[in-house]
Amino acid sequence: MKVTDIVEKLNLKVFSGHEGLGREISGGYASDLLSDVMGHADAGAVWITIQTHRNVMAIASLRDLAAVIITCGEKPGEDTMTQSNEEAIPVLGTDLPTFELAGRLHSIIS
Amino acid sequence: MKQIRADLHIHSLLSPCGSLEMTPREIIARARARGLDMIAVSDHNSTLHCELTVALGKKAGITVLRAAEVTSAEDVHSLVILPDGAARASFQQWIDSRSAHIPHNPDIFGDQVVIDENENIIMEIKHFLTAALNASIDEVEASAHRHGGLFIPAHIDRPSMSITSQLGFIPEDLYIDAVEVVGRTAELLYPVIRNSDAHIPEHIGRRYTEYMLDHPSFEELAMALRGENGRHIITAAS
Repeated sequence: MKVTDIVEKLNLKVFSGHEGLGREISGGYASDLLSDVMGHADAGAVWITIQTHRNVMAIASLRDLAAVIITCGEKPGEDTMTQSNEEAIPVLGTDLPTFELAGRLHSIIS
Repeated sequence: MKQIRADLHIHSLLSPCGSLEMTPREIIARARARGLDMIAVSDHNSTLHCELTVALGKKAGITVLRAAEVTSAEDVHSLVILPDGAARASFQQWIDSRSAHIPHNPDIFGDQVVIDENENIIMEIKHFLTAALNASIDEVEASAHRHGGLFIPAHIDRPSMSITSQLGFIPEDLYIDAVEVVGRTAELLYPVIRNSDAHIPEHIGRRYTEYMLDHPSFEELAMALRGENGRHIITAAS
């Protein structure tokens, strides 16, 4: 399954990183502590978070994540989106809270 | 120039987690007993006990700096130390404008009261002070500096509510005057200070930092953090 498939199935907004929509998804990780994600998220995972700070993209790149989904209608800053475009790692968005989004994502990728 | 011992992270009883014994009078008495020359009152998202503590400190010969421990939107705690009363009042207005106004439950989190010099309660804060402001860490840093203050990420080596736990690492484009650590750390790119983060009287001065200053004051501290004019950090003792 590719990032573009979950964008369609979960009706996600694509903020940035369009070039990375063809990335393959291997799983998911939900956490708002960047120190935790840095240590535990697997390559190819879709990361679900409410954090919008630009460090999100540094961690996503470090762990080679497939995409980031920002929940609760939060929006990434300009600098976060710029880095997402540079890294070709999409930043996606939803109005759903993390629990709801994670449940739906889990059911379509497992 | 002389050696000045300072503990710049002390909560009063205004903080929900601060013990009710932490009155400005008790803070000053303990600071004096512990041999501190300079302290800062740094309640969660509030500066409302600063002026009383400054006044009591003046009488006791303890320099008190005005500060707050601000929670930014990422749940990062940072100390903001302000230069004077006018800056404090203005910074307080900025905090109030960014408060999320989450109702406070004193039974769970503890009382949030402001007292006067006779230790009578003059105000009870109705929203939960420790909750994150509607302000990113970049906005808190910018506001601190707009008010002429110092921006110091708090307890950066703690596994929660710290810049490193919440953001993974310190963003290099933030303007950071110093970082506060609790334990021992390897050399950092920033000036390192230690403070008690006291919530009970017994903890005041349990960690402190010694500075080489002409006299204890905000301006002298700022120079020491920048290493200017012979002012500098001597040791960050724990």
